[in-house]
Amino acid sequence: MNISTRWLREWVDPKVSDTELSEKLTMTGLEVERVAPVAPPFEGLVVGIVMSCIKHPNADKLSLCEVDIGDDSNLQIICGAPNVRKGLKVVVAKVGSVLPNNLKIKKAKLRGVESRGMICSEAEMGLSDCHDSIMELDASAVLGENVRTCLDLDDNIIELDLTPNRGDCFSVLGIAREVCANYDLSLFLKNYEAKQQGNKSFKAKVSNPKACPKYLTRVIEGIDNKAVTPKWMAQRLQRASQQLHSPVVDITNYVLLELGQPMHAFDLKKINGSIDVRMAKNGEKLELLNEQTVSLNKNTLVIADQKSAIAIAGVMGGMKTGTQADSTEVLLESAFFESIAVSGVARSYGLHTESSIRFERGVDFNITHQAMERATELVLDICGGKASAINESIDSSTLPKLETILITREKISSVLGFDLDPSWIESKFKLLGFNITKKNNNSWAIIPPSFRFDIRIPADLIEELARLYGYDKVPVQRLSVDANISQASQSKVGFYDISQVLVNRGYQEVITYSFISNEYHDLIDPDAKKIELKNPISDDMSIMRSSLWPGLLQTVEMNQRRGHQNARFFEAGLCFGGISVDEQRQKIAGIVCGERFESQWGSPEREVDFFDAKSDVESLLNLSGNDYLFEAAEHSALQVGQTAKISRNGQFVGWIGALSPHLQKKLSLPKLFLFELNQSDIEQRKVSSYQSFSSFQASKRDIALVISKDINADQLVHEIRSLNQEHLIEVNLFDVYEGENIEKGKKSVALNLTYQSIEATLTDDQLIQQVEDIITHLESKFSAKLR
Amino acid sequence: MINKIITKAQKAVANASDLKDLDDTRVIYLGKKGELTALLKGLGKLSKEERPVMGEAINAAKLEIQKLIEKRKSELEEIALEKRILEEKIDVTLPGRDVDKGGLHPITQTLINIENIFTKGGFEVELGPEIEDDFHNFSALNIPEHHPARAMHDTFYFSDNAVLRTHTSPVQIRTLERQNPPVRIIAPGRVYRCDSDVTHTPMFHQVEGLIVDKVATFAQLKGVLIDFLRAYFEKDDLQVRFRPSYFPFTEPSAEADIECVICGGEGCRVCKKTGWLEVLGCGVVHPNVLKAVEIDPEEFSGLAFGMGVERLAMLRYGVNDLRLFFENDIRFLNQF
Repeated sequence: MNISTRWLREWVDPKVSDTELSEKLTMTGLEVERVAPVAPPFEGLVVGIVMSCIKHPNADKLSLCEVDIGDDSNLQIICGAPNVRKGLKVVVAKVGSVLPNNLKIKKAKLRGVESRGMICSEAEMGLSDCHDSIMELDASAVLGENVRTCLDLDDNIIELDLTPNRGDCFSVLGIAREVCANYDLSLFLKNYEAKQQGNKSFKAKVSNPKACPKYLTRVIEGIDNKAVTPKWMAQRLQRASQQLHSPVVDITNYVLLELGQPMHAFDLKKINGSIDVRMAKNGEKLELLNEQTVSLNKNTLVIADQKSAIAIAGVMGGMKTGTQADSTEVLLESAFFESIAVSGVARSYGLHTESSIRFERGVDFNITHQAMERATELVLDICGGKASAINESIDSSTLPKLETILITREKISSVLGFDLDPSWIESKFKLLGFNITKKNNNSWAIIPPSFRFDIRIPADLIEELARLYGYDKVPVQRLSVDANISQASQSKVGFYDISQVLVNRGYQEVITYSFISNEYHDLIDPDAKKIELKNPISDDMSIMRSSLWPGLLQTVEMNQRRGHQNARFFEAGLCFGGISVDEQRQKIAGIVCGERFESQWGSPEREVDFFDAKSDVESLLNLSGNDYLFEAAEHSALQVGQTAKISRNGQFVGWIGALSPHLQKKLSLPKLFLFELNQSDIEQRKVSSYQSFSSFQASKRDIALVISKDINADQLVHEIRSLNQEHLIEVNLFDVYEGENIEKGKKSVALNLTYQSIEATLTDDQLIQQVEDIITHLESKFSAKLR
Repeated sequence: MINKIITKAQKAVANASDLKDLDDTRVIYLGKKGELTALLKGLGKLSKEERPVMGEAINAAKLEIQKLIEKRKSELEEIALEKRILEEKIDVTLPGRDVDKGGLHPITQTLINIENIFTKGGFEVELGPEIEDDFHNFSALNIPEHHPARAMHDTFYFSDNAVLRTHTSPVQIRTLERQNPPVRIIAPGRVYRCDSDVTHTPMFHQVEGLIVDKVATFAQLKGVLIDFLRAYFEKDDLQVRFRPSYFPFTEPSAEADIECVICGGEGCRVCKKTGWLEVLGCGVVHPNVLKAVEIDPEEFSGLAFGMGVERLAMLRYGVNDLRLFFENDIRFLNQF
């Protein structure tokens, strides 16, 4: 909300500068975003009148003017504006005056003719961008008067960013009340009472008093709505960023800004019969003042005549019944609509009005009458006419109840952490307009005023005290710390441990949006449930990711476009298999492509392969100290034959594999490898448990076997292990070979077997027998042949 | 005769240019067929009186030559070593091999930094879901339906009762549902608002803080946050100010500003000439929030605060464009 400080100071005038005042308001809860002077600094500009105006003898577009500025002699001034004319009151910059930007006006000769000053445009005065014509002053402007006084330019606009709880401050009156509370001042209170000369009655009934406990109307006949809104009012409205309309509408806007009471003016002649404040009928149509036609629903409170709805209560009036320049009879409305009844209504029709902002936050239900009198007074002053008596419909049973709040000194200090002086407390509550009754030395019963909808409980009162005391003056205390020994457990692998492993292996962490495009979802994880946003920012960000891969693929694609071919990225974050808490699981995923290492000296270049990615994954898995199984498997995003499913004790943990060549082509990506793990499945660390080791020497035996290519290393080791040989402590596959000397479709595998006993050194015979058993088993199982 | 041999040997040893040469020399003089060995063999031909004298002289000569050889040997070894050292000289400025350069995202680094500061103060880290229900995201936090604050949240919806959390505050509720006071937690994480422009991304990060205890005061809240901000910006005298504000879930509510860390409070573009930067919101937990999780507000008090992680990261690292955080350009990420 923007407001002129001159207007504000008409209500309360603390002896501080506007800047200081704004600072104070900010620090006590009304945030002032900006204090802007209405005009930049300039000096020496006075009101003048053009006495004569003839064409410049040597220039077509220039005029030679004689200007009277109220002193002895007229000034000869040359002016280039098309609107300069005899009899016009203008702004004259005399020789020696200083315009904004420090421009000094000097005597000058223009095309051989002397000019003693300048007639100014609004742009030259820094008031607007309008520079193609000079500013035209009111005929009533006093010759020779300082223009700053004449136009009331020594004023500042304060821009307030009000919080939703302070609906009471959406007016000059409301801000003035705050100023009073801050500076221990009282308001220059005004009482309005308009003359009543008419006696036209009008029937208005309220069918829904719960939503509208107070509804006031008044007829004013014989007005002249073609009158001009007075300059002082127009200026204040403009300084509050309001557009000007007809005088009656301007007056209702003025009262809204001044007292915070939204009002409406109907053209009485266009109302069919009487008024009913009722709920709308479903589908009822209404063309609003902004030319938007809405189809109403039954939860909307409307003002209706006998035919149809003519306004949405507390939001906006209808086009048909609005006042026009030729309106002569108006019906003024000043009502109290319950915030509950109005909340969300404006938004549901895509509206946001000065009226709805205020009613949604709560309007003072004791200002309704005052506002009506104030508006009437202004209408009679400006447009003339005869006002009839106010027609009131008040249901006191539905008006908000002002409940008493009990507060103790003890409660105040227990929330704030320090003691406040009781007499200070009382004085501030009074300044805020609270009705205060002292119960005893340490407690009070408080009734908040009708404009403070945000004061309900003791905590609200405490905030009032704290903010007026000054948050900055509240002492600073430390929390007392319990020696609360937290559960930093060794059996849990933290995210930092996990990420550090990947970082040390060359991975850069990225953070991508949790929502992805439909296309990516279908390409990468088509079987996952699609969790769709109802109101996405764009189609590209409409589905909650079920996998981290889409974000990683996009990151690689973007960086490759920018010339970075080698990539090693990872991300950790929630993935969504559904909307329930359990279906939101933390995953960690990586992507790798390009050279194994950035090109370097003394080491041959090579592309990353599956096993580079696998070793990264294994390093992650090793953190937990558990055993994980890699099995050949298929995944829609990964290349058949280069994909493994990772599990532990039969429980799925994650995937690793090469991006499928189809997707590679579709997404214009190079060969790359992806992995993804459920974080919770790698977080459980096996806490070490010591096993005694043998002091007898271990014996190693190597065997080389020729087996079918299709037999996996894991299968082979698994079969050897299945024999449960007591002394076999390690099986290590150290070579795999295909090619020359090996039959097609077969491969040679070399294994290193380590035997050790806890009781004695094993004899050759024992060893030979055990190795023999293994070979026999593998021969029968896989038709393996000793090489 | 013996002296002649010694002189000859001296010359030969001195002239030996390498270890092999020296060994050859050793064989000539001391070997089984060497000159001194030959003399020893000839002792038998000498008289009884001459024999011991001569024997002693030969042995002495043998020892002397042996000494000479030893000495020369270590000289030659030293020379060989020097030569090897010279040959093995490398360019130590060549880069090390197989170096991988990875790193954590600046937002993660900021989160870790914030977590470290608070966990040292006895706070636990709690996490929560990102798809939230209306109760946890709004109504338990004293934001009933149609509350004006809801409109300010620009919420992403899945259904009437499922939203992307608009703040990390629902973690307060989830924590208090499962844990009795005293509670002292922070909750870092992603949050979402349906807003995208130069200064807003539809996803960003917050860290929420909550303290619930028998005694918890506004004065203590100031203490915690001033300590945190000074620790985070590593400046012991960082100026912090508290301004009244409004959040439905706290009362009294405040916003904290720090002196502009870009201009030092002089006034610049970043602080919009005010010298202050808003960095977090906080307050005393509203009694309705405690009631929503069945905690008696007469018995316990709460303090809560929330901060935007991107903003803190931008100020700490001098990043001037929020959107850089989610572009994931390696040239940006590599700098942290």
